[in-house]
Amino acid sequence: MVSYLTNLVEGILTAIILTPLIGAILLMLPPRGDDRSVRRSALAFSLIPLVLSLIAVYFFYWKSPPAGAASNYRFLQEVPWIVGGAAHDRTIASAENPGGLNIAFRVGVDAISLWLLVLTALLTPLAIWSGFTAVRERVREYHVCMLLLEAALLGVFCSLDLLLFYVFFEFTLIPLFLLIGIWGGHERRRAAMKFFIFTLTGSVFTLAGVIYLAYYTYSVLGFVNLDIRALIVMGQSGAIPFHVQWWLFLAFAAGFAIKVPLFPLHTWLPLAHTEAPTAGSVILAGVLLKLGTYGFCRLAIPMFPDAARHWAPAVGVLAVIGIIYTALCAWVQRDVKKLVAYSSVSHLGFCMLGLFSLKVIGVTAGVFYMVNHGLSTGALFLLVGFIYERYHTRDIHAIGGLAKPMPWLAFFLVFFTLSSIGLPMLNGFVGEFLVLVGTATSQSVSDGRPAGPLGLSYVVPAATGIILGAVYMLWMCQRVLFGPLTEPPHTPDTSTGLPRDLGRREIAILTALAICCLFLGLFPAMILDSVTNSVRQNVLIGTERGAVTVPPAISGQNDGLVVEARREIGIDQRLESVGQ
Amino acid sequence: MNNSESLKYLGLLILLGPLLGAILAGALGPRVLRGATHWVSILGVATAFVGAILVFGAVRGFAPGVTGAIAPVYDWLPTGGSSYFRFEFLFDPLTAIMLLTVTGVSLLVVIYSRDYMREHDHPEQGYERFFAFLALFVASMCLLVLGGNFVMLYAGWELVGLCSYLLIGFYYSKPSAAAAAKKAFLVNRIGDFGFGLAILLIYLFFGTVDYSKVFEMARHGVIANGAPFTPELATTISLLLLCGACGKSAQIPLYVWLPDAMEGPTPVSALIHAATMVTAGIYMIARCGVIFVASPTAMTVVAIIGAATALFAATIALVQTDVKRILAYSTISQLGFMVLGLGVYAADSAIFHLFTHAFFKALLFLGAGSVMHAMSGVIDVRHFSGLRKVLPVTYATFLIGALALAGFPMLSGFFSKDVILHHALHVRPFLGFLGIVTAAFTAFYTFRMVFLTFHGPLKLPEGVHAHESGKWMLVPLVVLSVGAIGAGYLGVEALGSPLTRFISPVFESTFGAAAKHMELGEAAEHAGFWGEYGLMIASGAIAIAGILSAYVVYVRQPWIPGLVRASAMGLHRTLWNKYYVDEAYNDAIVEPLRQTGSVCVALDDYLIDGLLWFVTAIPRALGFLLRTMQTGLLHTYAVTMVAGVALIVLWITW
Repeated sequence: MVSYLTNLVEGILTAIILTPLIGAILLMLPPRGDDRSVRRSALAFSLIPLVLSLIAVYFFYWKSPPAGAASNYRFLQEVPWIVGGAAHDRTIASAENPGGLNIAFRVGVDAISLWLLVLTALLTPLAIWSGFTAVRERVREYHVCMLLLEAALLGVFCSLDLLLFYVFFEFTLIPLFLLIGIWGGHERRRAAMKFFIFTLTGSVFTLAGVIYLAYYTYSVLGFVNLDIRALIVMGQSGAIPFHVQWWLFLAFAAGFAIKVPLFPLHTWLPLAHTEAPTAGSVILAGVLLKLGTYGFCRLAIPMFPDAARHWAPAVGVLAVIGIIYTALCAWVQRDVKKLVAYSSVSHLGFCMLGLFSLKVIGVTAGVFYMVNHGLSTGALFLLVGFIYERYHTRDIHAIGGLAKPMPWLAFFLVFFTLSSIGLPMLNGFVGEFLVLVGTATSQSVSDGRPAGPLGLSYVVPAATGIILGAVYMLWMCQRVLFGPLTEPPHTPDTSTGLPRDLGRREIAILTALAICCLFLGLFPAMILDSVTNSVRQNVLIGTERGAVTVPPAISGQNDGLVVEARREIGIDQRLESVGQ
Repeated sequence: MNNSESLKYLGLLILLGPLLGAILAGALGPRVLRGATHWVSILGVATAFVGAILVFGAVRGFAPGVTGAIAPVYDWLPTGGSSYFRFEFLFDPLTAIMLLTVTGVSLLVVIYSRDYMREHDHPEQGYERFFAFLALFVASMCLLVLGGNFVMLYAGWELVGLCSYLLIGFYYSKPSAAAAAKKAFLVNRIGDFGFGLAILLIYLFFGTVDYSKVFEMARHGVIANGAPFTPELATTISLLLLCGACGKSAQIPLYVWLPDAMEGPTPVSALIHAATMVTAGIYMIARCGVIFVASPTAMTVVAIIGAATALFAATIALVQTDVKRILAYSTISQLGFMVLGLGVYAADSAIFHLFTHAFFKALLFLGAGSVMHAMSGVIDVRHFSGLRKVLPVTYATFLIGALALAGFPMLSGFFSKDVILHHALHVRPFLGFLGIVTAAFTAFYTFRMVFLTFHGPLKLPEGVHAHESGKWMLVPLVVLSVGAIGAGYLGVEALGSPLTRFISPVFESTFGAAAKHMELGEAAEHAGFWGEYGLMIASGAIAIAGILSAYVVYVRQPWIPGLVRASAMGLHRTLWNKYYVDEAYNDAIVEPLRQTGSVCVALDDYLIDGLLWFVTAIPRALGFLLRTMQTGLLHTYAVTMVAGVALIVLWITW
């Protein structure tokens, strides 16, 4: 019985991806209930992935994988998708069965993707629940979009196949485009178009990269292999020469950097955020932007380690400029939502800095930062949405002194502000501090590992972002919460049945997020330990262990050493095993 | 070790007692406890106080030669691999003294607040919020002094900053209070920027953030990879740490937040902005002594900043009329004395002054609160006078505090200030001289405040029915005045100076060794009667002279101040406007930055966005081209298809 359950659990990722999809289909089918029942069933369908992902967490941490399974990733499933080869029997192409394609519905998670999966599964139901009163038109279509978006996002984090990853990655655009364009604010059409065009332009380059990579694997292995694990091993073992990596990294980075967004590619984001409905903003900031950073962490850095090292200083400089520049932009915004949007760009600069420190601690902190940012920025967007529902304005000059009539709002706004500006014992501090530690120690050569690309010169300007972050967030709090009460005429609008202060539903949503923030701030090791392992196994394999950086002057005599290093980490064996 | 285990629980008790009080006050206060909310906070803080006494006992009981004990609690932040920034406590004499000071004064202030935060015996609005924040502050401050590594120090540092923010902004509907709270947080953030960088540097070069390991390496003059701990590195780290200390302990150039912080309720000013939180910077420098003394440059900077701040703030205090602001500038000035003490290698004296200052400054603030309570919130000396008749107990206790602050002989401030001046005159005579000038100013402005408030004809603000405060407020005042009189004797050499003797082992290998190395200790010991007592007599005389001149100017010949003001208009205006520092900061830093922000937004909206649209125009143009082909007419498609097939056939058969 137990082993049966354990085997069943191995398919949990498929179930997690499929439930919201099934929910979306069922919502579209007759019998069509009223808005109320649509809302409730959408919420129910989005809660199932949450429960399933928590079960996955349980099995990930407290149950060992079934015998024979690889330990790097859990809950592996592989269903041939686009195959073919000399054998012509619909088996996956391999070294023995060359000439075809190895493209599969291939899912599996390590600690990095698992926690982003949980984040997605947590934020979506909360976002849906938050929209119970805000969304009054085309309720069914709205919830279908939300569920489709969730399915696509969950799919990205589970994918271990490059094509599958790309399909999910691109598919997220459609529901979000609709969410912004239909349920957005006054300028929703322009915002949706801009969002779509910008991100699509970037991912066209990524697609080109994927296609070239497929061709490249064909030319090296004799068949097209889009198994991400195999591609990583190829990249780490030096099977992809530097000049190829150089181009491929740029192609992948084009798509990911726009998603993150990395300065100066961020201009689509403030508009998209301001115009999106609250739930859309929450998912956009909370999860969708992480697709960019996740892409770097899962694909670009491990697959093209030499190019990543080569480009890291450039990325670092852009990240640092972005941190300061967008923080200054945030400071002068009048629109609260735009302020939070700019702050989001500023924060993700820290995340990029951590990832491109190319040190275990920095990358781990970068991953942790993704989760943090999802929680705190998501909550801030929710709060802005709750204010907007009552006052129909986001103008910082039109509202003020809300702490008096809305103590709960004040409590949560201050709480998440503190989380966002990195108060110790809350989650934000852990990410921020460890990112800076990672960046600062990037160049230190400890236990025989090569120097990383970043260093103190990046930390000092980036750390000013911490001051600026406090400046604009506290400025916003002061304007919105404190001082004499200021309300636009004929508000607060209670026609929708909303209470003056936050209601129980809203408090429950924010409390859930607040507990997560507090927990992650106090006991980050729960997550960080396992993420550290995954970073070592799946991200920084060669970049840290010295297979790549041999001074060119002596590399001729040191070939033996490189081979030694490669044997030590078992890259050749793994390359062989994946090739077969 | 069993000892470390029990110390761990003791530390947790000190943290969790007030924390639980805060949570209960916050959660149950508004609905259940209401007017009785103060009880949970008082109990929580009392728990911490009892814990602090136990810690004191435990530290006294350490075997000879053992200066401290580390008690790890859990692994907090993983730093890659299996190493962690741990959540751990350090127990040593410095921690014990700080804990006693913090929890002791806190307890009295919480008790005092029970009455102060009521109007006509009804809890003021936000009563439970106040007690929740106050208890949270005590927990955070205990975390700060208990922490066993730099990251924990930083955590406590930020958390006390948060509580300070919340409490300064307690009357948040007042725009000035909200602005002051934000200012306090942001100015402190600037300091934290330096502090944070210092921690990163320490981790980078020492490979750890644990006090014990870092200080051990620094003491032996090495860093993690065996390279020498160079004076340049020591200077960099020390100055960055000093930057943090300047923020929290309100030293030049980051002192500007403290006077504004007086927007908070008076008990908060007494506790956070006088007795405890603002001394965190002193604690930090004292704790990191080994790093500071490795860099003579840094020590010079510390001493100069301390002496300059002491004098600078004292001059401003000469002309202010708001009692709380006078006290705030006086706090800045006294903190300057402590920093000066650290800078002249007299860390034990600095901590001694910190200890006595906590008593008399808390006493003065609470006394001012009592006046404010009686005057229905008015605290400007221009609006009242002659209050000694209506507020006798307040007057008596306030007078004791003022005498202690002024350095009147045989009161606590006299002894502790004297030892600092003594060292300063030996090490850096000029700075010591500045310290003496400051002491004279201190005596003068303190008694200017006393005479204007309590002497002269009785004058009350309009519509105020003055009354002495109740027992809840007077008992803490009396207890503190006993401390203000007696605390100094713990450091008097003739009585064996139990306090300095208790604490000096901590500094023996840092400040002490450095001082010995510079042959400072020798000079002090062989100074003879006049060397030893001459200064004491002189500083006592200066204090009395300051008090007397204030008496002459403000009581006997009250026309003098007006004449002086009229004859030195420019100087008076400069002092009244606090040397225009706030304005300068605003014009030189804040406004340019905001304008840069506007420029950034303009760049974003026009230049960058325009460029990006231009780039994305290429695919769009392509799409436009292709769209013209998608006519929807079947025959065009057919023609195109035939043409295409023909081309392919041609190509194959070629």
